[in-house]
Amino acid sequence: MNDFTIIRRSLAARKLSTIFTSLSVAVAVALMLVLLMMRDSGRAAFERGSGNMHLLLSADSDPLTAILNSVFLAAPPRRPIEHAKFEQLAMRAPWEFFIPTQIGDSYQGLPVFATTGEFFTKFKPDPVEPWKLQSGRFFDKNFEIVLGSRAAQETGLKPGDKISLTHGMPKTRAQLQEEGITGDVPAPHVHDEYKFEVVGILEPTGGAHDRALMTGITGAWILHAHDRREKAEHEKDAAEANKEEGHDHADEHDHEHEALTTEADLIDSDRKITGVYARVMTRPGSDSSAMIPVVFAQMRADPTITVAQPTQEIDKLFRIVGSVDQILIAMAAVVAASSGISILLALYNSMEQRRRQIAVLRVLGASAGRIFRLVLAESLILGAIGAAFGVAVALIGAQIVASEMKARLGLVIEPSIAPLMGVYVVVGAILLAGIAGLLPAIVAYRTSVAKNLRPLG
Amino acid sequence: MSLGVTCLRFRHGTELMTAMPPALAIQDLHFSYGRDHFEIVVPSMQLAPAEQVLLTGGSGTGKSTILQLIAGLVDPQQGVVRVAGENMHAMRGAARDRFRGAHIGMIFQTFNLLQGFSALENVLAALMFSEMPKLSHRARARELLQSLGIARPEALVETMSVGQQQRVAVARAVACRPALVLADEPTASLDPENSAAAIELIQRTCSESGAALLCTSHDPAMKERFPRVESLDALRRPVIAQVGAGAGA
Repeated sequence: MNDFTIIRRSLAARKLSTIFTSLSVAVAVALMLVLLMMRDSGRAAFERGSGNMHLLLSADSDPLTAILNSVFLAAPPRRPIEHAKFEQLAMRAPWEFFIPTQIGDSYQGLPVFATTGEFFTKFKPDPVEPWKLQSGRFFDKNFEIVLGSRAAQETGLKPGDKISLTHGMPKTRAQLQEEGITGDVPAPHVHDEYKFEVVGILEPTGGAHDRALMTGITGAWILHAHDRREKAEHEKDAAEANKEEGHDHADEHDHEHEALTTEADLIDSDRKITGVYARVMTRPGSDSSAMIPVVFAQMRADPTITVAQPTQEIDKLFRIVGSVDQILIAMAAVVAASSGISILLALYNSMEQRRRQIAVLRVLGASAGRIFRLVLAESLILGAIGAAFGVAVALIGAQIVASEMKARLGLVIEPSIAPLMGVYVVVGAILLAGIAGLLPAIVAYRTSVAKNLRPLG
Repeated sequence: MSLGVTCLRFRHGTELMTAMPPALAIQDLHFSYGRDHFEIVVPSMQLAPAEQVLLTGGSGTGKSTILQLIAGLVDPQQGVVRVAGENMHAMRGAARDRFRGAHIGMIFQTFNLLQGFSALENVLAALMFSEMPKLSHRARARELLQSLGIARPEALVETMSVGQQQRVAVARAVACRPALVLADEPTASLDPENSAAAIELIQRTCSESGAALLCTSHDPAMKERFPRVESLDALRRPVIAQVGAGAGA
């Protein structure tokens, strides 16, 4: 028997009140932690994704969309940059690297990121950390695939496996309805003429590329060139069939279509590029260059492309989200304050029923100070239970929010609590509970023993 | 204040004459409260160690108040109350509470057991604030409850019969081996048969544990059960009566 037994019994005697009071603290702590986690992890995820590139070039409508699509693989860009334009831009500035990328295909809902070998040798996902392989090697031929760590985890693929890619990203019914398409979701077109072989798996980077399947851009062009050629053949067949009504040439034509497209069949319009990762030449060991703003201004003057500085766009995004962030954190603080009030009320109201118990404990030898500490400790324990529950809820909640962010925005966020921040929130909740417990503790301290032992004299 | 001379008898039969302070010694106690200045005046009163005294008086004569004065729950305007030789009211705050927990046991008419706690925990609660070594608490509580016939010490007190609750209350009062047990109308809510059994239990338990017993009651039938009876009716002002001046049963 110790003070904790008395507190435990007291809390158990008011089970419902204890549960709801702890829940209100848990909600406040969870809300606060999820917001802080998502803010910090979100920012970290955004900062990680752009790596050591200085500029992103695309044909998207605005720089932020360009960053979200081409760096965070949120959605395939709607408009590509023509190859001729790409070559022209490549000559216009002193680039350290100028890497073409193409997003459009997918595998099991994961984006396929088509690029060149320079993506692995020159672009770094983290400004100071280059790509590292978990297993296998980087691709060096067409139709080879390197898996991001999460993509490998989610698909279960390993080096040596062969897969077919799906044209486009699968759309949900909601997305189709937005586009005015109703009825059944159409089956996606699988490029099953070409098998891609998994040759390597990357180490995790914490960026969006972790959930992508990286492949050579020429192979991706060949896939689409094959589609183009097949479509042309079908149109030609249809036209001929119209001319020669009633005559079936299907067998002959099928034979013709079996010929696979090669690099030699590519025409300029096949070589579509949806984004360019670019880095201006810098001095060795330096990340910045006086040339960056000059090149940025020069590129921005071109109305046919959109140029984005990832760091600026991320800052812009966080400025937009920041005010919402502050409102939400203020709301969480209000919830925390109200949970403090609910602790105060729960304990204060219980004092009326506990006066006799307090008087008996005093008769048994408990000092007024000890009674004060018991009630205060009870309040702190309520806060601690709520805070512990809140941390658990926050971790689960953050995972849910992160998976929603991934599903809706394609943004990979690894929710984690900065230990110090977590400690601040938990200690803050417990302290708040302590403050809320002060008034009931004072009431308990001042409880008259003589008055509350039923007078019989 | 005079010290009582006590004869300690050991199990092996030897006797040791030693000077022990009385379990209770009151000197010039003045206490008044309320709009009508209700007053209690006790010029002198003593209880020897292990002595059992009945304080009688009608309702409103201040029986409970005098017990609260003795327990140090209420401060008198004047006078000294010594329990086991210690001046209760000279001690302040936590020291007085600790002393009360260690040296005074209290039994109430309604038992005042801690609801939501088991019988064992009610006894342990008394030991918790005592000076007895922590390791001995559980064994002491179990032993007491067993000797008082509590078969299920882990049962919550609210699930027990009135008789069992009273036994738990008695066990709690003597758990710390107090010098003095104050019983405030312990039989007021019981029928005559149970009342006799209850007072017998209290007296026997106090005797066994060597505690003096000061029991208040307005039941005339109780007088026969105590070797010494004091009346409080005379204590209300303006009449000042002297308690302990030999007003026997």
